[in-house]
Amino acid sequence: MSDFRLVSKPALSDRTPIVGKHISLEALPEGHVILVMGKPGAPAAETQPVSLSDGQPNAVRTAGPGQWLVVGDQPRTQKEIEALFTELGADIYGVDQSAGRVRILVHGTMVERVLGKGTSVDLAATSFPVGSATVTLIGHIATHMTRTDVFAFELMVLRGFAESLWDDLLEMCKEFA
Amino acid sequence: MASLVPCPHCGARPKEEFTIKGAALARPTPDAGTEAWMDYVYLRDNPRGLYEEYWHHTSGCRRWLVVTRDTATHDIEHSRDVALSQLTDIRP
Repeated sequence: MSDFRLVSKPALSDRTPIVGKHISLEALPEGHVILVMGKPGAPAAETQPVSLSDGQPNAVRTAGPGQWLVVGDQPRTQKEIEALFTELGADIYGVDQSAGRVRILVHGTMVERVLGKGTSVDLAATSFPVGSATVTLIGHIATHMTRTDVFAFELMVLRGFAESLWDDLLEMCKEFA
Repeated sequence: MASLVPCPHCGARPKEEFTIKGAALARPTPDAGTEAWMDYVYLRDNPRGLYEEYWHHTSGCRRWLVVTRDTATHDIEHSRDVALSQLTDIRP
């Protein structure tokens, strides 16, 4: 038995969101994040992750060849997730990452200018349209980035890096907030 | 060294996203003999010109690539995914 009480709290619970005219920054609810891994290029693999999702827009995001992240705002129990995994076909596997990854929403008309300070990905709407997702460095932190709307990006980062990334983003937002 | 590396999956990315393993050499067969294995493990050429290296896109798609790099001009000739077919070859 531990000498002190273990308290489970969201990684960014003590950070204050930014709400501005041109840029806003908020931590998203820690719902579920499932990593799905299949064989790169396998034809049936693309449709498999959809069966795990809650059907919301942008719930399934690519994360490299043959890999997807299935995300949602509602937490799922271990039992629910295990039941979903039994529906997956052969040569495709799911891993529950809900406790390991934190999502941050950056939105506002200046969002491309803000993120452009940290990543080399071309964020223009023509080359990175709504629904696109990729993994890239923001500063020194590997981040999964999804465009959920024309002026909205969701960043997903390993839990231990969430506070560092948040503090970097604060600096990046400062001139527009 | 080139600062933008073309990844067949992610497009041009800065070299900071990658980890470089070293020369992409053909692995000798297990019974190739001590001399061939000493060469493979320890000895490297230092060519002026095109050079094939293993690069890992650590902070991106996490795939192993073979990047063909010119040691004199720093240009990258092309890159390809090691595991996937040669069809993924791209040129910057």
